[in-house]
Amino acid sequence: MIVFQDVSLVYPNGVHALTEISLTVARGEFLFLVGSSGQGKSSLLKCVNREVRPTEGEVIVDGHGLGDLRPRAIPFLRRKVGVVFQDFKLLHQKTVWENVAYALQVTGASSRDVLRRVPRTLELVGIAHKSKMFPHELSGGEQQRTAIARSLVNNPLILLCDEPTGNLDPDTSSEIMALLARINAKGTTMIVATHNQAIVDRMRRRVVRLVNGRIARDEERGRYHVGLG
Amino acid sequence: MLDWGRVRFFWAEVAQNFTRNITMALTAIGTIAIAIVLLGVFLFLRTSFNIVMQNFVGQVAVAVYLREDATGPQVNALVQNAKADPRVDSVRFVTKKQAFANLRRTLRGQFNLNVLNNNPLPNTIVIHTREPADVPVIASELQHKPGVAVVNFGSDVTTRLLRAEALFSAIGAGIIALLLLSTSLIMYNTIRLTVFARQREIRIMQLVGATGWAVRWPFIFEGILSGLAGALIGLGALQFGYRSFAPKIIVNLPFIPFNITQVPLHHLALELLLVGALVGMLSSLFSVSRYLQTA
Ligand SMILES: Nc1ncnc2c1ncn2[C@@H]1O[C@H](COP(=O)(O)OP(=O)(O)O)[C@@H](O)[C@H]1O
Ligand SMILES: [Mg+2]
Repeated sequence: MIVFQDVSLVYPNGVHALTEISLTVARGEFLFLVGSSGQGKSSLLKCVNREVRPTEGEVIVDGHGLGDLRPRAIPFLRRKVGVVFQDFKLLHQKTVWENVAYALQVTGASSRDVLRRVPRTLELVGIAHKSKMFPHELSGGEQQRTAIARSLVNNPLILLCDEPTGNLDPDTSSEIMALLARINAKGTTMIVATHNQAIVDRMRRRVVRLVNGRIARDEERGRYHVGLG
Repeated sequence: MLDWGRVRFFWAEVAQNFTRNITMALTAIGTIAIAIVLLGVFLFLRTSFNIVMQNFVGQVAVAVYLREDATGPQVNALVQNAKADPRVDSVRFVTKKQAFANLRRTLRGQFNLNVLNNNPLPNTIVIHTREPADVPVIASELQHKPGVAVVNFGSDVTTRLLRAEALFSAIGAGIIALLLLSTSLIMYNTIRLTVFARQREIRIMQLVGATGWAVRWPFIFEGILSGLAGALIGLGALQFGYRSFAPKIIVNLPFIPFNITQVPLHHLALELLLVGALVGMLSSLFSVSRYLQTA
């Protein structure tokens, strides 16, 4: 589903964010991307939805190399690759329902599709009962559910989550991770960049650790740190 | 089939953009309005000048004086060729006799033409052109045709007027270009601020896979609407000015050979509306495209 072939990324300011990354993520896989701040987790995610372009190597998503992807084709890649952020990135003046519908409306979906898919997605993430509320009337966890619904409503093949629980308390974090696991169980390939040691250790999924832009460790059913328990 | 849900969403986005940046929307509209007033006054003056020119120069014609020995076929050829020429509006053949009668009528009571025992006037072909500018050209073309004695047109006055008109047109085009350019620049920068104010939306649109045009369209429509609104306000001001000043001009300047009601106001108003909409649209398009490139 996602293949990194010797990918290196040097930002225009000279920072080497990624160095010779080779990685394969299978369809339907759930992968934790761990590492302290500044090790390249966000940069790696950004290569997948073509927010940045590697300086070397090739990223292949759903069989298509992104190296020679034309700018016009990027929107269509992004409909296959949903993104979720630590700071939710909701539109404050829109309700929950409108925030989720927005992703369909700006990609040209018919209003029938909007009416059909939005309620179903809100139901799936467990926020349907607050669909008329505005983001500032919601808890952090509810805001993140809304953001997940928005990234999910287009039926993406892949969901990229960049520290989705970074702003949430431990209990809420567990709920959100459980939601992501449920979504993954329905077939969506999932990459979750996180600092949340407790959750990584509890869920025992594949763990890839980045250090200084290189893959330092890649374990099936891994833990946050090596050799602990 | 038309999807009303989508239409509603689109216009709600445009309207929201408008109401959330009301100061900037008003700046854009005000800029356009001022430009339209200036442009309107200028175009009005230019059209008036052109009408005056038409009235002046329209009376200028080519007079082809024929030789005494010009043959019938030669004269016929001259008349037929002139009639077939697409630049020519009308051709009139004036015989010696008619010319003499005209002269007699003009000079009645001032000079006794009976003292002349023969008619000194030649047969003449009088040619009116559609465009004043063609008068000197046609005159020089006819100069050496067989049967032609002399070709006459108010050469000096005509040439000077035509030169003045050309100069005025060039200066006018320059002024209009400058005016449109400065308006577009102000609009461009104003709209860039509204684009900047919506960068959150734009970023989210791009992340969920909206195409560049899906991002642009609401801004383009906002630009068109601002342009139209500004143009309508400007037209209102112009209408008011015209109502207040036109009667005074007519009363106070009767010696100008020009009827102010000849100016095609509706046509002018339509042009101004189109200019407003176009300037609004293009400045929006450029601001948002610039933003999308750097984003
Ligand atoms: N747009 C950018 N331009 C320049 N340097 C960047 C940019 N984004 C990230 N970096 C740098 O790249 C490195 C990796 O950053 P990032 O991928 O955000 O790491 P993480 O998400 O693991 O914290 C850091 O040194 C960071 O400062
Ligand atoms: Mg990061």
